[in-house]
Amino acid sequence: MKKQLGFYVDAKRCIGCFTCAMACKNQYQQEPGVIWRQVYPLKEEIYPHHERAFYSLACNHCEHPACLEVCPVDAYSKRPQDGIVVHHQEQCIGCGNCIRSCPYGAPRFNPVQKRAEKCSLCWQRLDAGLDPACVASCPTNALTLIDLATFADPGAVQFPPGFPKMGRLNPSTRFRQAELPKIIKREDVS
Amino acid sequence: MTPSFELPLVIFTILSQQAIGLTLLYALRTAGRSARPEPSARIQWLASAGILALGLVVSLTHLGHPEGAPRAVIHLSTAWLSREALLFGLLVALMAVTGFLGAVRALVIAAAAAGLVALFVQGMVYAPPSFPAVNNALPFAFFLVTAIILGAGTASWFAPQDRQPFLRRILVGALVAGLLLFLISPCIWLSGGAIMRLTAVAYFASTLYWAHIGVGLILPLLVVLAVRRIPVWLPVLLLAGALCGRLVFYVDTVHSAVNLGGVY
Repeated sequence: MKKQLGFYVDAKRCIGCFTCAMACKNQYQQEPGVIWRQVYPLKEEIYPHHERAFYSLACNHCEHPACLEVCPVDAYSKRPQDGIVVHHQEQCIGCGNCIRSCPYGAPRFNPVQKRAEKCSLCWQRLDAGLDPACVASCPTNALTLIDLATFADPGAVQFPPGFPKMGRLNPSTRFRQAELPKIIKREDVS
Repeated sequence: MTPSFELPLVIFTILSQQAIGLTLLYALRTAGRSARPEPSARIQWLASAGILALGLVVSLTHLGHPEGAPRAVIHLSTAWLSREALLFGLLVALMAVTGFLGAVRALVIAAAAAGLVALFVQGMVYAPPSFPAVNNALPFAFFLVTAIILGAGTASWFAPQDRQPFLRRILVGALVAGLLLFLISPCIWLSGGAIMRLTAVAYFASTLYWAHIGVGLILPLLVVLAVRRIPVWLPVLLLAGALCGRLVFYVDTVHSAVNLGGVY
């Protein structure tokens, strides 16, 4: 398998502190309302516990990206060396087709530039030997960078509950699912 | 993913479908007849071209950078939007040429066929995986029914008297088909996944949805059945109803990203 970088989201470790989202914002200074990385609390139907679990999500740098396929001006490309999906904003005409078509809502509309934009997996930082800003900032190591060509965690899942199953796109994000805590009550102790 | 009215696209899709509908209905009602075109053929075809051209111009206003619109045809290999842009550009030219040449039969058939293909391509643009409720043939079906309803209605302004009953029958059939399609589709979504159910609930809760059903489908159907002709004002009512329906399509079809962290 060719090198394909992706995020590993460890929902068991994530505490929902939003540091990853803030680090992304600090790094790229996006316009207000433009969010490349967002932390989503799992809804009670999926994680039925009063403490919450979270998925930190950005672009999934899919093997067959919807954004790349639908863009009429070919403003997206997939880097052959690591599979990162790059948006070339200067080519974008702001039609919004990628925003409508990505099932994960990764591309966003920049109202000032009047063009789309999305997570770049910090390819400039990677090329300089650094981790993506979100990964570098995570205080619990819940967000890491993986290469699917060498990643072999049997416990990892691609489509956990709460993450739309889009097999054809083959998103590169992998997850460790949150576990419900073991609750011991007084009556359980003999 | 915040839903928005996308008014330029609402107007573009409706006008383009009206123009294609006119084309299809002309081809249908002149099929198998003498090779002589209708007396108003020229003006009708030029009207079709004008309506489609107007829609295309309006569609440019939804772009962040309209000056880049000519580049929208460069990704034909995978982008349905590129194919749509190219096809509709060619179609408007074909309609205009057909008008100028007096509705030559071969051009009429070519334009009608191109119109059908264009509707299919337009349907594919609006069937991405991010909208599970319409990630299927429904957009094409919606657009085809809208094209025939608007086409039959508008054609009544141009067609000679002896062909009005034909247009009335087509309009009644299309209105019944549209009524079934637009009422049954959300009911089917109710039996689907979470996002499909959210879409169905949003449609049923929308005033515009019921305005489309009532003003755009039921009322015209009752009028045509009662007076047994297409009144001259009816196409305006059909257009208003279709606009309501298209607004619902853009605003209330739920995107899969709205429920991240929840059941898909």
